[in-house]
Amino acid sequence: MHQFKKCAVALFALLAMGCGDKKTSDNTATDTATSKPATKQAATNTKTILVFGDSLTAGYGLDDVSESFPGVIKARIDSLKLPYNVINAGVSGETSAGGLSRIDWVLKQKPDIFLLELGANDGLRGNSVQQTIDNLQAIIDKVKAKYPAAKIILLGMQVPPSMGQKYVSDFKKMYPDLAEKNHIGLVPFLLDGVGGNPKLNQADGIHPNPTGAKIVAENVWRVLQPQL
Amino acid sequence: MPEPYQLEKPPLKLGWLFEMAWRDSRKNRSRLFLFISAIIFGIAAIVAIYSFGYNVKKDVDNQAATLIGADLSITSNKPVDASMLQTLNTLGDRRSQERSFASMIYFPKGNGTRLVQVRALQGEFPYYGSLETTPITAGTDFKNGKKALVDQTLMLQFNAQVGDSIKVGSVTFLIAGTLNKAPGQTGISAGIAPIVYIPLQYLTETGLMQKGSRISYNYYYKYDHDVNVTKLIKGLEPKLEKANLNYDTIDTRKENTGRSFADLTKFLSLVGFIALLLGCVGVASAIHIYIREKIASIAIMRCLGVRSTQAFLIYLIQIISIGLIGSIIGAALGSLIQYLLPLVFKDFLPITVTTDLSWMAIGQGVLLGVIISVLFALLPLIAIRNISPLNTLRMSYESVNLLRDPLRWLVYVLIVGFIVVFSYFQLDSWPASIAFTIGIFIAFLILTLIAKLLMWLAKLLISNSWSYLWRQGFANLYRPNNQTIILMVSIGLSTAFICTLFFIQSMLVRQVSVSATTNTANMILFDIQPTQKQPLAGLTTQYHLPVIQQVPVVTTRINTINGKNAAQVKKDTTIQVSPHVFANEYRVTYRDTLTPTEKVIDGEWQGKAKDGAEVPVSIEDRFAKRNHLKIGDHIEFNVQGSPVKTLVTSIRTVNWNKMQTNFLVVFPAGVLEDAPQFYAMLTHVPSKEVSAKYQQAVVKQYPNVSLIDLGQVLSILDELLDKLGDIIKFMSGFSIITGIVVLIASVRISKYQRIQESVLLRTMGASRRQILVISALEYLFLGALSALTGTLIAFAGSWLLAKFSFDIPFSADVLPAGGIFLAITLLTITIGLLNSRGILNKPPLEILRGDV
Repeated sequence: MHQFKKCAVALFALLAMGCGDKKTSDNTATDTATSKPATKQAATNTKTILVFGDSLTAGYGLDDVSESFPGVIKARIDSLKLPYNVINAGVSGETSAGGLSRIDWVLKQKPDIFLLELGANDGLRGNSVQQTIDNLQAIIDKVKAKYPAAKIILLGMQVPPSMGQKYVSDFKKMYPDLAEKNHIGLVPFLLDGVGGNPKLNQADGIHPNPTGAKIVAENVWRVLQPQL
Repeated sequence: MPEPYQLEKPPLKLGWLFEMAWRDSRKNRSRLFLFISAIIFGIAAIVAIYSFGYNVKKDVDNQAATLIGADLSITSNKPVDASMLQTLNTLGDRRSQERSFASMIYFPKGNGTRLVQVRALQGEFPYYGSLETTPITAGTDFKNGKKALVDQTLMLQFNAQVGDSIKVGSVTFLIAGTLNKAPGQTGISAGIAPIVYIPLQYLTETGLMQKGSRISYNYYYKYDHDVNVTKLIKGLEPKLEKANLNYDTIDTRKENTGRSFADLTKFLSLVGFIALLLGCVGVASAIHIYIREKIASIAIMRCLGVRSTQAFLIYLIQIISIGLIGSIIGAALGSLIQYLLPLVFKDFLPITVTTDLSWMAIGQGVLLGVIISVLFALLPLIAIRNISPLNTLRMSYESVNLLRDPLRWLVYVLIVGFIVVFSYFQLDSWPASIAFTIGIFIAFLILTLIAKLLMWLAKLLISNSWSYLWRQGFANLYRPNNQTIILMVSIGLSTAFICTLFFIQSMLVRQVSVSATTNTANMILFDIQPTQKQPLAGLTTQYHLPVIQQVPVVTTRINTINGKNAAQVKKDTTIQVSPHVFANEYRVTYRDTLTPTEKVIDGEWQGKAKDGAEVPVSIEDRFAKRNHLKIGDHIEFNVQGSPVKTLVTSIRTVNWNKMQTNFLVVFPAGVLEDAPQFYAMLTHVPSKEVSAKYQQAVVKQYPNVSLIDLGQVLSILDELLDKLGDIIKFMSGFSIITGIVVLIASVRISKYQRIQESVLLRTMGASRRQILVISALEYLFLGALSALTGTLIAFAGSWLLAKFSFDIPFSADVLPAGGIFLAITLLTITIGLLNSRGILNKPPLEILRGDV
């Protein structure tokens, strides 16, 4: 969560206003091993879980993408020998608006299960909740329109209490409302048991460390497993 | 002279030695004064430049201190535990603390909500600079009640007035003032959201501090006495690191603000180093000539039975005294100049430079004066030691093979060691001081060689067919008792220093002004979706704002380099590519041309991708070096799922000082157009009012677009950068003038070299004009050749400095260099002529008879 500072850092790397050190932080997009677009799928009989999200999905700050929560889920699926392939389509710093304009590119591959993890960056930038609702709704609509059979699971987020009570509660309410309206699955709070616990987060206090990511994966797994 | 004929092992008799040293100096006080004056100018140069440098540094530090507002700040993103807190409470003489976090605040009047950065403050922070508010008193008063300071842009956006209220969490605060400027907010976190200050004591009441709240804990420290904060924090670093605390000192902040401060520091050390050498030239040439003149007296004393040790000691005592007196007067003069200058140039000085008496500079100056005097006097004095009285009397000691004397080598080693050690005090780095000393040594060698060459050529070319005056002028260059080498070296070195300072100064000022004046953009908008690009640009134009840049940004990652992925690279130790390349994510752009701030230094820029071929990409120079990437490497990028095969076809340097979008990797047009991307846009807002209106419009129509107003951040920085340029100019101007004075002094001491001959020539009937032409010719050759050599050395030296020390592109204008060359040549001739004027204005007999 609390992505905006990081995002600003990343942006400033490219806008580099005289700061000598230009680090390209953030992680990106798709799992390298499994990223080749749709074409490969048809040949095999495996189904696809597509995780569409921000830095939490991309595994920001982790040494290896396999340590991110989609990576942990992939490992579990592999060990259970389930016929699923997990595609990590997370981009650090992504907002719901960014997700909306990226979704067509990502939907070139057919998901059987679509995990939607966005909104945290909107919240941390203080974007209006209604705006975020509209964007997430539009993403859900696009997935439904293109692949009606795909099961969608919405991963819920919260913003820190320091953002102010009203905003915090509006934001929190957004996910269950959307899930109910669209009849889709819901993980009530993705970072449940992880957020705010320094031991489970990286030094930035924002992104889960490998141990934290395992708990996050567990939170998702509880909702995901019945769908497999 | 008591007991002059004791032959066997007489005691040294210290008292007598001192007396002799004193008596010898009595003979010709005006001559002695001329030598001392050279020392005085040399040391005055050192002291003035050193103390001025120290003061400028201190003042710039004070200015830079407003970037952070305290001597030290410590930041944590979680509460600090009790034991650590205890440590923190031992720091500083005065302490402040602050909690900062992002929050949505509510303006009851306009019924608006907005993301801000809340800063809950307790204590006297800022210690440097102030919270600039309207009304002024609000900056400190707000801490006394439920009051807040609100960023000016925010006030304008919500049309709020002082006296209105805002709601932070569940507490309503009275807006006590508008915040115009606050120290320590150059960080980017300050830019992204406007700031609201509240008193710390009401933070708990707001209910915003809960589990899961993202709060930053900031501690500010001020020392009332002199403390080396950088050293102090180094000792604490492991402990802080373990507790995940970040710190910021004035020094670290300066480093992060860009290279301008570092450039200034380097420049000041360079100036200090050059001052040291100027001092050396001034003092050494005076002493050298002085001792040479004394050889006749020494020879007579030796013939009268003075032991060589005694003769040696007599002159050593004399030199130490002369050096000491000269240095003390020089130090006084240097300090005085330093006091007077700011008075004279008050209006030209970029900052109010404090004129503290720098005991450090004075001490260094006096010590240097004595050491240089002794070291350079030792060379001729040592030679005297081994020479029989008659030889000394014949003045033929120069033919003795001096190189065999081990003591002489010891003196050389001492001189070199001395220069290295004292450069270390100025440059603060052993390799640099050794490199600089070697550089000076080479310059010295070149000048000596050129001088020898000149003497040889003069001898070779001289022909009887020339007019008498020409022959005489030429012959002066190589005949015994010539001053070719000493003047070539001192004029040449001074010229080289002056020119180098001038070149480096103009390069640096260019660099600094590039970063200062071209920072025209002061607002960044990002996360602009492709569909919003056109309408947003339209909106911007509608507000009469320029669209300085609008660039697409695509997030990518690297799959393979030359066919190897991360795991293979990690395993294969023969591959130099760093595995980190794969861990990072790259925000790249695509376009068909280079921007003016980019320069291809290797390979060729290709702006269009060809179908079917590998995509030609350009990578940034330092990124390439860091990761051992080169032209011809094949990189497969992973553009959010799609592999894109690319070929590195060019390497670019990027001027990161410029406030604009810069990229490590640039793709050509025709590849990434369809990839998921967002746009970043730069604009310039002329005022807070416009900024507020524009922001409001953007937020309303494009709520997803994030916007950073850098106006405040840049204005503090710009002011400082502007000043840095001026400071560099002033310091170099000051040093150049000092250099010229030293140069004049060292040419001036050659006055007595030619006196005897000129008088003889006059007696034999030479006219005034003839003598003037002869000296003019001699000084013309010496001045022109040494100035030319010095200028050329300066070209080479500046190039080396630019490349290895300052890391800036080398550029040197030939025109001013030519000007310096001409000026120094003319100056040399003028002083040469002035030197002979004294003789010409008096009847020859008067001079022949008595002391001059």
